[in-house]
Amino acid sequence: MKLYEFQGKSLFREAGIPVPKGAVVTASDRSGLFAPSAVKAQVLSGGRGKAGGVLLASTMDEAKKAADSILSMELKGEPVKAVLVEEKMNIRAEYYLAVTFDGEAGTPLFMASASGGMDIESVAEHTPEKILKLPVDTLWGLTDYKIREMADFLGYENKKEFASFARKLWNLFREKEAVLVEINPLVVTDSGLVALDSKIEIDDDAKPRLKDLFEQNLSEQARITGKEADADHGTITYVPLDGNVGLISDGAGTGMLTLDLIKDFGGSAADFCEMGGLTSPEVMYSAMDQVFSDKKDIRSLLVVLIGGFNRMDEMAEGITSYLRDHSVSIPLVVRLCGTMEEEGKTIMKEAGLPVYDDLRTAVADAVRFAAGGE
Amino acid sequence: MRCGSQREGNDMAVLVDRNTRVIVQGITGKSGILQTKSLIDYGTVVVAGVTPGKAGTAVEGVPVFNSVADAMKETDPNAAISFVPPMFAKDAAMEAMEAGIKLLVLTMEGIPKHDVLDILSYASGRGVCVLGPGTAGVISPGKCKLGAHPARMFREGRVGVVSKSGALSYEVGKTLTDAGIGQSTVVALGGGPIWGTTQRDVVELFNADPETEIIVLLGEIGGSTEIAAAEYIAESVRKPVVSLIVGRSAPEGKSLGHAGAIIRGNKGTAASKMEALEKAGALLATTPAQVVELIRKLG
Repeated sequence: MKLYEFQGKSLFREAGIPVPKGAVVTASDRSGLFAPSAVKAQVLSGGRGKAGGVLLASTMDEAKKAADSILSMELKGEPVKAVLVEEKMNIRAEYYLAVTFDGEAGTPLFMASASGGMDIESVAEHTPEKILKLPVDTLWGLTDYKIREMADFLGYENKKEFASFARKLWNLFREKEAVLVEINPLVVTDSGLVALDSKIEIDDDAKPRLKDLFEQNLSEQARITGKEADADHGTITYVPLDGNVGLISDGAGTGMLTLDLIKDFGGSAADFCEMGGLTSPEVMYSAMDQVFSDKKDIRSLLVVLIGGFNRMDEMAEGITSYLRDHSVSIPLVVRLCGTMEEEGKTIMKEAGLPVYDDLRTAVADAVRFAAGGE
Repeated sequence: MRCGSQREGNDMAVLVDRNTRVIVQGITGKSGILQTKSLIDYGTVVVAGVTPGKAGTAVEGVPVFNSVADAMKETDPNAAISFVPPMFAKDAAMEAMEAGIKLLVLTMEGIPKHDVLDILSYASGRGVCVLGPGTAGVISPGKCKLGAHPARMFREGRVGVVSKSGALSYEVGKTLTDAGIGQSTVVALGGGPIWGTTQRDVVELFNADPETEIIVLLGEIGGSTEIAAAEYIAESVRKPVVSLIVGRSAPEGKSLGHAGAIIRGNKGTAASKMEALEKAGALLATTPAQVVELIRKLG
């Protein structure tokens, strides 16, 4: 769950991390407007500053105009439905400070840079030496010597203040089970460090034990956008593509291999739909539903299954029950092997559906059918 | 390096062998029961199961204990495979590690990430090798299976296979086996975004394993674990390495399931990985069939 800046800042406030005074303004409620102020689009995507999503206002009139203008914008396809109006800060320096995790090392990771306020990915690409990446042992936590290393790297004088700030950030990261807490910029003002922005993402897998946090923030987001939160698709990863061969697989690795083979055989995939390696008939059913409802013009559907934990009898049940409930007129190419393969093949045979054993043959046929071949 | 060889001497394979004595955590759940049967059918020595509150019962003839500590006292296991549901997986993993288990296979996906971080931190302090989470596990054909690998897709041999994706490791295992090429050990690491054991770790194990003559490294777009493995191969590996990176046809900028990482300042494209592996001396395949061809050429 990604949070809007203002939602992240309310977590900051709760954690004792200094943020500017501000108010949320929407098209229907402008009572919070004030000036002089910074008026900032509330969107979940990044790069809003460059796109004109942040305007400064000296007078109330300017603030109103800025809010009107930003509330009519669309940033990276996301219509702006709220702005955060904040007091202007007297900025002496802009840092970047974030805590996330390095999955490949299996540890949390602090990132700090004195080159804040700009696109950190471009800093990382062009001048990686300007970013300090500091792994932190999860159970030991953020130690004093690591805090000193960060403060020294940033060149921040008030070590005690920085230590308290960094510890609060770490505690927030752990307690709210964030996968990312990013402050860009973290500004140095006359009165010390202030988080001028916030980008927080909470681990969706922690939802069962962070019910209140999820409920509160998601319902707030739904109120603002006027849309319900996206349905939970469980383990399914779905990415629409441009071709005409529908694709469903029971593992990302095999799915990507199949994507490559489709291209090698001169075809093109309509989607990438991956169910995860431990699934159920219901997930198989909803994967087919997902592809057929999103991709009405596919010419064949290729289902690639190779069961380890996945049971092929369950996958066959999912497929046949989908076909009982829906009329499907395009050719279906199912490659099915692995755990409970015989049982799965029997179910398919009873439903009059052909089953493939070899991946290459299956891909070749799916591509040929999509091109109109027999 | 997080995983060393678990035992010394005799019949040494990578991570598991005939001396592996397994406890199944969460043995009384649906997956636990089905997979325990599949492990036993393969010949894996399953000595105990653990489900709190179910002591005194049995699954497939395997005695069930309330705690790992109880199972340790009576059955002397040295590895654990966990089917414990995501929200309870951390507690089960900590319990197994504290009781002295040194190889832990975490099959479940969806374990909260901070729990995974806790598990890995604890594991590194105790010298425990963690496979996963979200892993299909490991199989040393003819010796031991500690995971989901379908038995008939694998046969004993001299090729060590390491893969992020479980399904891709089956796919390539099946292709090799159909072509008459056997495997020493096949390891799946899990889809991430947080890993215990990585490709580099397993390549290091294969490099030291006398039963492995050829290493097959299966990777995919996103992240940079293949790059780290390539660096290690360039420095230290003299055995032939054949590599297949899938997702080369994926449109740029689309994330296809397994999470890629930007924090390492690299976009994790198939091309960048293939280049690094080729520079390190690996032979590149673009399909499982080509993996077979390249291995045949090696003789």
